[in-house]
Amino acid sequence: MTGRITQSMTARMLLADLHTVAERLSATQQRIASGKMINVPSDDPFGTSRALQLRSDLEENRQYQRNVDESSAWQDVTDTALGQIGDFALRARDLVVQAASDTSGPAGRAAIASEIDQLVQAVKGEANAQYAGRYVLAGTKTTAQPYSQSNDAYAGDASTVTREIGKAVQVGINVPGSAVVGSWNGTTGTGLIGVLRTVQNDLQAGNTTALGNDLQALDAAHDALVAARAQSGALTNRLDAAKSRLGQIEGTTTKLLSDTEDADMAKTLVDYSTQQAVYQAALKAGAQLIQPSLLDYLH
Amino acid sequence: MPLSTFLGVETALRGLLAQQRAIDVSGHNIANANTVGYTRQTATFQATPPLRDFPTGDIGTGVDVLQYTRARDEFIDVQLRAQTMLQGYHQARQDGLQQVELAFNEPSDSGVSQLFARFWSSWQDVGNAPESTATRQALLQNAASLAGGLQSVRDQLTRIDGQVQTNVGLTIQDLNSTVGAVAAIDQQIMSVVASGQPPSNDLLDQRDVLIDKLGGLVNLTTTKNADGSVTLQVGGFTLASSGSQTSVNQLSDLGANLTSGKLKGLDWLDQTIGGAGGYLSKLDAVATSLIGSVNAAQASGYTLAGAQTAEPFFTGTDASNIAVNPNLVADPTLVAAAGQPNAPGDGTNAFSVAGLRGNATIDGAYQAFVVGVGSDSQDAQRATSNANVLVDALTNRRDSVMGVSIDEEMSNLVRFQRGYQASARALTTMDEMLDTLISRTGRVGL
Repeated sequence: MTGRITQSMTARMLLADLHTVAERLSATQQRIASGKMINVPSDDPFGTSRALQLRSDLEENRQYQRNVDESSAWQDVTDTALGQIGDFALRARDLVVQAASDTSGPAGRAAIASEIDQLVQAVKGEANAQYAGRYVLAGTKTTAQPYSQSNDAYAGDASTVTREIGKAVQVGINVPGSAVVGSWNGTTGTGLIGVLRTVQNDLQAGNTTALGNDLQALDAAHDALVAARAQSGALTNRLDAAKSRLGQIEGTTTKLLSDTEDADMAKTLVDYSTQQAVYQAALKAGAQLIQPSLLDYLH
Repeated sequence: MPLSTFLGVETALRGLLAQQRAIDVSGHNIANANTVGYTRQTATFQATPPLRDFPTGDIGTGVDVLQYTRARDEFIDVQLRAQTMLQGYHQARQDGLQQVELAFNEPSDSGVSQLFARFWSSWQDVGNAPESTATRQALLQNAASLAGGLQSVRDQLTRIDGQVQTNVGLTIQDLNSTVGAVAAIDQQIMSVVASGQPPSNDLLDQRDVLIDKLGGLVNLTTTKNADGSVTLQVGGFTLASSGSQTSVNQLSDLGANLTSGKLKGLDWLDQTIGGAGGYLSKLDAVATSLIGSVNAAQASGYTLAGAQTAEPFFTGTDASNIAVNPNLVADPTLVAAAGQPNAPGDGTNAFSVAGLRGNATIDGAYQAFVVGVGSDSQDAQRATSNANVLVDALTNRRDSVMGVSIDEEMSNLVRFQRGYQASARALTTMDEMLDTLISRTGRVGL
């Protein structure tokens, strides 16, 4: 419009433009101060949706890492206990071999029998291994000792203790004592304890012919222990792999979140100084523009 | 017919008077250069009726001021008010939605989404160590933070909705008093028009300022009447006609007639926050679903002591009253973490509660809700800034027509001052002529 430009128009346009520049400047300033591109959802609704999802993913990922750490520690305790119990089984095997040889008299066999009894107590001691106050070989009855000194019964259960190491990925981390350590009710038994008590009885009864069978049963119990250790070792490997995978995912998720949410400082600061220069130029031009009118030149 | 000797004196006098009036008008314009809504006026000159100088023809008799005209383009007024109406509508929405957004405090490390994330993680911690009272206590703490977070967001939304409703009342008062002022001015204008005179330009300006203001409040249509008044209507509802006002008592008086303007913007906000399917009901749906799902999972689990529990995890029904069951807080072992009886080391039920993370009706719905509010707010901001640009542009166009330009008034002053001086000079010439005629003529031989 080739028309009249009035003083109020000039003033309004100047103010509107200054306002626009100042608003932009203030938005940039907020970005610098908060370090964030998105300060309220309306800054970028799509980005907000992404940021919220990524934050939630990140929190979940860190939780899974904690779960993995927890499971690994549990595995370490289990492995140590099973290792010790395995050593006791080997020591028992040596004793049985020694007892089976003809050179041992009844007195020698009685001494061996009492050592076997000590070994059973030691096995039960190891089977009461704890991680953070919880009995790891007690199935899910982790709050009570699975074995007591007074008898050879198993007080735990055969249930699986599970941990979640990924979305809907649950792993069983425990070895129930009933499966490998076993129990003895006074006449019959299962597992290592069952074999050891049978050996003890045979020795005390002088039944040396049964010792051959006992030796085979002892080997089978030891194999079961080794198999359980191998399984626990494999699980440890799996947990280590999960841990490093979760760590990598955490890295990429954190980077994605930062890309979505964080202000690019270099760019923001350059924007800021550009906008400041524009603002100052606008102020200066405004001061010069508003002043003169024909009034200044008429006398 | 012979002409009067003094015709020239009369002509010059008319010139003097007319130029003086024009200078007065310029003075009035300059005085009102910064008056809001002032419309530049001009004195329109017209040559006075001529005298017959038979047989030569007509001889001019000078000039007179025909009228004082307002430089107003009513078409721009209509366009501008249409934009002011949109500006009022979107501005009201933007202001409210920005408050709503601040209530969420998202995305951040302390918003409700983060509280949700921590809540689910605590369930995992309980699953990892169901025997420990400490992890159960941490879970109950995080659950209380989450319940508190949801309640606080709801409180803030309710407070904003209350402010909006108060604002509706104030805006209706404002509407009524402004319409009342228009009606009062109309009565003055009507009495002048009834006596056959043109209405005062300055009264018309005042009325236009009031109508401009009304245009931002409601979707206004104005019709000029022959009696000088204007009829103001919102859709089919007549606010004022011929100087008599109909008051609006409440929003429902306008009903479906109201389609835009600040008042409609506030009504929209009220509906969007507190109405059916609004923000509050969405937030409540999230809380209700959280309470329902967690309690259902809790009911199928077993406590640390090994029994199935009758204690719900959350009490309450929606975001206004959600809270952690105080019985659990008193005895954290009652949290049902186990999936089977008498299994203190079993955390499968805790894991299945933790599996609700990201559920489309719980925190998934909450995220979608926050993002939805963000989109609404962004939309309102965009529309407001568009309307602002258009309002500015149209205001400038209107100012270009009706605003006072000091440059122009200065050059007019120069013009009319020169006109005045020249008329005075013509009068002096007449005077000298008459002096010659009266004082010196017929003195031959004296």
